[in-house]
Amino acid sequence: MQLSSPLVRRRSRNLETEGRSAMARSHSTRKACIPKAAAHKASILKALCAAFALLFVVAHPAAAQLSFKPTAEAVQEDKLLNALKEGDKITGRITIPDAMAASLIQPAGRDWRDFHRSKLPIIGGVAIIGMLALLAIFLMVRGRIRVDHGFSGTKILRFASFERFTHWLTASCFIVLALSGLNISFGRILILPLFGAQAFATMSTYAKFAHDYLAFPFMLGLVIMFLIWIKDNIPGKIDLQWLKRGGGILSKGQHPPARRFNAGQKGVFWIVIIGGSLMSVSGWFLLFPYIPANVTTMQFWTVIHAVIAMLFIAAMMAHIYIGTVGMEGAFDAMGTGEVDLNWAKEHHSLWVEEEQAKGHAPSGSTPRAVPAE
Amino acid sequence: MARVKFLCDADRCIECNACVTACKNEHEVPWGINRRRVVTINDGKPGERSVSMACMHCTDAPCAAVCPVSCFYTTADGVVLHSKDLCIGCGYCFYACPFGAPQYPKVGNFGSRGKMDKCTYCAGGPEADSTPAEYAKYGANRLAEGKLPICAEMCSTKSLLAGDGAIIAEIYKERVTKRGYGSGMWGWKTAYSDSPTG
Amino acid sequence: MKVFLAALLFAAVAAVGVSIVLNTFQQPSYAAFTTGGARVGDPGNNLVGPG
Repeated sequence: MQLSSPLVRRRSRNLETEGRSAMARSHSTRKACIPKAAAHKASILKALCAAFALLFVVAHPAAAQLSFKPTAEAVQEDKLLNALKEGDKITGRITIPDAMAASLIQPAGRDWRDFHRSKLPIIGGVAIIGMLALLAIFLMVRGRIRVDHGFSGTKILRFASFERFTHWLTASCFIVLALSGLNISFGRILILPLFGAQAFATMSTYAKFAHDYLAFPFMLGLVIMFLIWIKDNIPGKIDLQWLKRGGGILSKGQHPPARRFNAGQKGVFWIVIIGGSLMSVSGWFLLFPYIPANVTTMQFWTVIHAVIAMLFIAAMMAHIYIGTVGMEGAFDAMGTGEVDLNWAKEHHSLWVEEEQAKGHAPSGSTPRAVPAE
Repeated sequence: MARVKFLCDADRCIECNACVTACKNEHEVPWGINRRRVVTINDGKPGERSVSMACMHCTDAPCAAVCPVSCFYTTADGVVLHSKDLCIGCGYCFYACPFGAPQYPKVGNFGSRGKMDKCTYCAGGPEADSTPAEYAKYGANRLAEGKLPICAEMCSTKSLLAGDGAIIAEIYKERVTKRGYGSGMWGWKTAYSDSPTG
Repeated sequence: MKVFLAALLFAAVAAVGVSIVLNTFQQPSYAAFTTGGARVGDPGNNLVGPG
């Protein structure tokens, strides 16, 4: 104890001086040389010191810790597990430079596994097969949407080369990304039994390379699309009217007016931009797992990536349908860039008027007017 | 057949890392791959405990469940192994593993993180037992020689136990009874949901 | 058609370019997790294969 040493020193000093003076006087014992008053003071002093020391023993902070038994009252695994909140982990101190190794037990991995093997296939199945079924029913019931007045033979420029290039860049990357991504989610169930383990694994390796690298041209395409088409995709009152009439899609002869992009197309634009951005951000973290360097964060981003992917694919299936099989004359927009005038008048009447006012388009179904002589 | 497990008695572990060193030496594990590691809970505080953690070879292995190419398999002894020929290095097994066992030779996911590596319970892999080809891919195969994992064999305090799950559970229970306390069979409830107490 | 093919070609070239750029950023674990206190030469190819 700290306090005992000065007391001991003081006591020994007293005895020393007493002893020296005693030796100086004679060889009699020390006790005989101490006067009675000094001895009485010494005993009071001793009692006071003892009481003081006892006070310190009781009041010292360390004394309180002596009631904790480090061997018995250690961290208990089940108490730690029960105290964990949703998605939390038991972590500790490690000597490894990799921060992810500090996680001892992360029970959230179990939930992530459940999601990926049970819930995600249902979400994906419902979205994709459901959309497929819806489109098949639509085709059977409504049939192919025809140009009511027939093709005029006159063309109007709808999309310039650069716009078409951007669309096809994004679209072709999307197809490969979607297929390789679906391979990760469903390949094991659908394709592995057909091709065997090694062939499937080799194919999946290349699919993974394609997925990782084509993501970048896809992101570039998204950015360009946003820049060149944002101005034509701002929602407006006309879109509300168009939507109220169902876009004319459900019944023949109905052609609500629309500008360059109708409400359905604006919907596709925003789905692509928002969905694509979410895919890009989540995909970025999957490409660079040591940016968050946290398994819980990675689990979150894989869930976003997977769920948005399923919904995105379903939406694009509808877009591809309407642009190819679903509506005659529609594919030309992205195929050659020029669409039939009658098609344009039926589906984008206001846009045709704007283009004609600008002089970019022939007026009516007559050939381009010859300037007066 | 015996169902083998790992049990780390956290009340005996002194964080000496002999298990880590033994594993690294036995399988020539390169730097950056941590098949086994020691994690210290409540470091510096009363009740500090250290746990040696590696692949627990779970009963219903989540890594095997989420693998997109189904490269995992469980041996008759209950050891969870995987094929590096099939592995595409996607990282999914790491997200699913409650214990962070899967390790990857590269840090970025682009191209590949490389083939996943993890504790094999010193049981090698799908290659032929005790061949140089197996050693180069999966490390030593002690189980084929009738030996137990080297980490548990080298443990200086016999805190890390490996072997038949029932036997090591019994040993641990004896210890808990004798000394009157035990911080738990770390990871057993999560890994061996069918037999969390042995 | 020309535009479509041009887009495919651009995507392929971009993907190859991206792979080259990203692989310069790729680091093996032994390089990424070397600390000041540890001097790591070539840790060998056991378990991880060449490269």
